[in-house]
Amino acid sequence: MSSFLEYVPGTSLLHRMNPVAKLAAAALFAVACFCSSNLVFLAVLLAVGFALAATCGMMRPAIGLAKAVFAFSLILAVVQILTTSSGAVLVELPWGYIGTGSLLAALTTVVRLVAAAIPLFLVFYVTKMNDITNAVVKVLHVPYKYAFTFTSTIHFIPLFMNDMKGIMEAQTARGVEFDAGGIVRKVRLMVPLCVPLLVSSVRKTNSAAIAAEVRGFNLRGVASGYKEYPFAGYDVAVMAVAIALVACAVTLGIVL
Amino acid sequence: MIEISNFSFKYRESDQPVVSGIDLTIPDGAFVGITGAAGSGKSTLTYALNGIIPHCYPGDFYGSVVIDGLDTCDVVLTDVSQVVGSVCQDVDSQFVTSIVEDEVLYGLENFGVPRDEIEGRVSRALADMGISDLRDRVISSLSGGQKQKVAIASILALNPRVLVLDEPTAELDPASSQAVFDLLARYAREHGTTVVVVEQKIALLSQYADLLVIVDEGRIRFADEPAKVLEHSDELKRIGVNCPRSTTLMNRLRAEGLYGGASVRNVREAREALKEVLA
Repeated sequence: MSSFLEYVPGTSLLHRMNPVAKLAAAALFAVACFCSSNLVFLAVLLAVGFALAATCGMMRPAIGLAKAVFAFSLILAVVQILTTSSGAVLVELPWGYIGTGSLLAALTTVVRLVAAAIPLFLVFYVTKMNDITNAVVKVLHVPYKYAFTFTSTIHFIPLFMNDMKGIMEAQTARGVEFDAGGIVRKVRLMVPLCVPLLVSSVRKTNSAAIAAEVRGFNLRGVASGYKEYPFAGYDVAVMAVAIALVACAVTLGIVL
Repeated sequence: MIEISNFSFKYRESDQPVVSGIDLTIPDGAFVGITGAAGSGKSTLTYALNGIIPHCYPGDFYGSVVIDGLDTCDVVLTDVSQVVGSVCQDVDSQFVTSIVEDEVLYGLENFGVPRDEIEGRVSRALADMGISDLRDRVISSLSGGQKQKVAIASILALNPRVLVLDEPTAELDPASSQAVFDLLARYAREHGTTVVVVEQKIALLSQYADLLVIVDEGRIRFADEPAKVLEHSDELKRIGVNCPRSTTLMNRLRAEGLYGGASVRNVREAREALKEVLA
């Protein structure tokens, strides 16, 4: 089982697509989500996101991600419910009211965030980090240092999560009960662990920087990458569909 | 040729030099083993050899380290890296990609190895380390030993003139450790590569090294042929370096006047020596 945002080998269409096309399509998909407030359209996009995850065998990580984004977007949704007074009155508040419109707006926010996140995260599960770096350098001419910094950040997320898990297991072995009590207690127990995690993270990133440097990091240029990243017919088709989705979202935003 | 002259180094955050007064000459193609107790300055010595000191760790650097005519203080780290290939102690933090193949490719791409050579070098390095079947694997899914082999393969692919390895077999079982040393020795022979290995397993070092260096409290205590260094097994024990039991046994027999030959490095040599004693 792979870690969070870690590449999972495979041969699906999403795996085979050009990394730049995948990134562009995922970004356009997210743009489409933010261009429309039509709940039905957003629900369709959400379904498309899950369908994409299913085609490359990433349904489980997609559901996990959706749950995480859902939890985060709930905070926004609550704020929206309490601050947006519209539609039929359901609950009176001292500063306004909670109405059917408030609930609809909150639901739209939740669906929008989950729908936008799934394809973006999916890109990292179906693309080797090195391919993303090399492709954006070769195709988009992004300076290698920036591309490497971005992908290294993603590369380190699962490593740091593993470190945190290791520290927590070590603490559990010494009697700390992370699984007892509520979320507040768990967070309170985890805060002191951030210091050793930070120390080990700084050490790891420093070592990785040195390791990259002793293997010629500073000599790398646009043409250094060994692999080529040509665009295939399906790359163009997927990007065209993504552009069409943005067009649909904009049209729905204007018409409705 | 590597020439270390009167080298001392004090990390910025420490009060005392970690290594001091190091003088060492390593001829081309030599296989050098460096060992010593924990905290004796072995790793610092390797950092000096691969240019990480003074380029990445700030501190007070005295003396000189010259590798193939390059004074490591006068050139940038990238220049040193084109001569010296390094495998760090913590291989996990050495990886800059997430797939085995990409990791081996990384240095080759950076150093501008011609495209038609790259595939051959990747395949050969993986085959040499016996990990061809791991080529498409995600690095985080590998065992500690497999990761160490990937780290070594990614450096071997660069065909460096000098190889500096800091505890390359730390996570390997005895058979795999022996296999790695076999490979390093063969590789050094075939390519005329100078190999410097820091290792705790003195039995392995003494079996393969032409020159065995013992570091104690930042200074070189012994630097000689393994058999000659092993003659000092009692002193080595005092400074935290445990010799193989067979070596200690034969040294005691020598002290008792029962054996007059050279120090033995392993059980096989001890058995041969004992046969002579008993004959």
